[in-house]
Amino acid sequence: MSDTPNEPPPPERAAPAAVDRRGFLTSAAGLAMAGGLAAGYGTFAAMAGRFLYPPHPTARGWLFVSDAASLKVGDSVVYRTPAGAPVVVARMAATGGVNDFLALSSTCPHLGCQVHWEAQNNRFFCPCHNGVFDPTGKATAGPPAEAGQSLPRYPLKVDRGLLYIEVPLEKVGASPGCAARRAREC
Amino acid sequence: MQSVVAWLQERLPITGNQLRELTNEPVPNHLKRWWFCLGGTPAYLFVVQIVTGILLAFYYEPSPTTAWESVRYITDEASYGWYFRSLHKWAATLMIATVILHQMRVYFTGAYRKPRELNWLVGMCLLGCALMTGFTGYSLVYEQLSYWGATVGANITDSVPVVGGFLKSLLLGGDAYNERTLSRFFILHAAVLPAAMCLLLAVHVTILRIQGVTEFRFGDEPKDKPDHFNFFPDHLLTELIAGLVLMILLSALATLLPAHVGPRADPLTTPEVIKPEWFFYVTFRWLKLFSRTIAILSMGFIVFTMFVWPFVDAWLRRKAKDSEASVWIGIAVALTIIGLTVWEAAVAH
Repeated sequence: MSDTPNEPPPPERAAPAAVDRRGFLTSAAGLAMAGGLAAGYGTFAAMAGRFLYPPHPTARGWLFVSDAASLKVGDSVVYRTPAGAPVVVARMAATGGVNDFLALSSTCPHLGCQVHWEAQNNRFFCPCHNGVFDPTGKATAGPPAEAGQSLPRYPLKVDRGLLYIEVPLEKVGASPGCAARRAREC
Repeated sequence: MQSVVAWLQERLPITGNQLRELTNEPVPNHLKRWWFCLGGTPAYLFVVQIVTGILLAFYYEPSPTTAWESVRYITDEASYGWYFRSLHKWAATLMIATVILHQMRVYFTGAYRKPRELNWLVGMCLLGCALMTGFTGYSLVYEQLSYWGATVGANITDSVPVVGGFLKSLLLGGDAYNERTLSRFFILHAAVLPAAMCLLLAVHVTILRIQGVTEFRFGDEPKDKPDHFNFFPDHLLTELIAGLVLMILLSALATLLPAHVGPRADPLTTPEVIKPEWFFYVTFRWLKLFSRTIAILSMGFIVFTMFVWPFVDAWLRRKAKDSEASVWIGIAVALTIIGLTVWEAAVAH
C-alpha cells in the first residue's frame, strides 16, 4: 500500500523543521546579543584603556649648554636640566665634532635611582642596589656591571660653535623651596 | 518596638531563627586552636584598613606639591590624626604578616590540595593585591624613602618582558614619575585594589563555604567529643575576641611606635640609605644579588610556581608516593625568605 499524492506530510516530519528554524533564530538572537554586549562593553573598555594610557611621552627639547670652544679637553661642567637633574658634560677630545663631548645622566640604568659622585673613590655610586660606575659612566661593579649597563648619555649637538643638549622639559613636583634652591644653583 | 519589628518583618520576611540557620554552618573543632584563626585575622584587619583609610582620605591630597604636607598635617595637627595614621600603618603591617602566616599554615597542612586548588589561586591573587596595596600606600606619603621605593618599583615593572613598558606607563601616567603619578597610586590604593580584594574575599569565602573547611584531628582530642561546633554564636564570638585583642595590640603599637613623617621627597637626590617596606626586603636584596633581567625573570618564575603549586605538588606526589618533598621545599623557601629579609634589614647597602 502506498501514500496518495494529496495526502499531507506526516506531522512528525514537519515539526523538526519548525524547531530547527526556531532554534536557529534563538541561537542567532543569542549570538547577536552576546556580540552586541561584547562590542559595546569592549569599545568602552578600549576607550577607558586609551584614556588611562598617557597620551604622549614626556616632552624633550634641545637646550643651550655652552660655547663649544670654551670647553677644553679634560674640562667638564655640571649642567642642570629644567627639572634640576645634574648632567656632567665633559670634553674628551678635540677633533672638532660633537663626538668630542659626552653628557652623562645621573640616573642609574638599573632601576632609576640617582647616582652621586664620590670624589674620594673617583666613582659614581648608586645607593639603591650598590651600582658603581667609573668617571666615563661605565659600570664597574654591582648589578649594572653584571648586566653590562652604563650610565645613559644625553644626546648632544654642536650648531654654529654652540653646544646643545636634548633633555626632558617636564618637571616632577619638587617642593617650592627645593625648586627655588635649584633655580638659584642654576 | 513590636510594631517596628512587625513593620520590618513585613518587608524582610525572615526570622532570627531562619537567619541563624542560614549562617550556622558546623565548624570543625580544630578551629578552636588559635593558629587556625589566621585566615579571619587579615579579614578583620582589612576592615580596620578600610575604616582608617576613609578617615585619612578626608585630609590626604594626592599631588606631589600637597601630598607630603597633607600627611604632615594629619600626623602633627589633625585631632587624633597621629593615632589613625599609625593604626593604618600597623594594621597594614599586621595584615601582610598574618596573610603570610595564613598562607604558610595552608601550605604546611596541605590544605591547598585537591579539590581546593582554585581557592589557593584566589588566595594568591589576594596576597598579590595586599602587597600592591602596601606598595602604593607606602608611596603616597611622598617622603624620600617612599618616592624612591616607588621609582624602583615602577622600573621593576618596566623590566617585565613584552608588556613591561606598557604597564610602567600605565602605572606612572607617563614614561617616568611625574605630576600625575601620585593620583594614580591613590586611586589604585583607595579604590581599585580594595574593590578587587572585596570581590576576591567574597569568592574565597564562598568557595570555602561550598567545600567546607579542611578538617584535622589531633591526637589529644577525646574520642567522645563532638567533631564540630556551631559557627553562630561560638565561632563568631571567638572572632570577636580575636578582633578585640587585635584592636588593643594595634592601639598599643600606634601609641608606643607611632608613624612619623620622613624628609620630603626630592626627585633629584637618592638618599644614601634606601629601604622599601619590610615585606619587600627580600625582593630588594634579590635585586642586589643579580642583574636586573636575571633577578626579575627568576622572581617571576618563583611567583608563577607559587601560583601553580597545587598542580606541581600533585605531579610530585604522583611521581613519588607519600612524598614529603613539598614540606622540605616549603621549609627551604621560608628559610631563604627569612634569611634574605634579615640580611637586608641588618646592613645599610
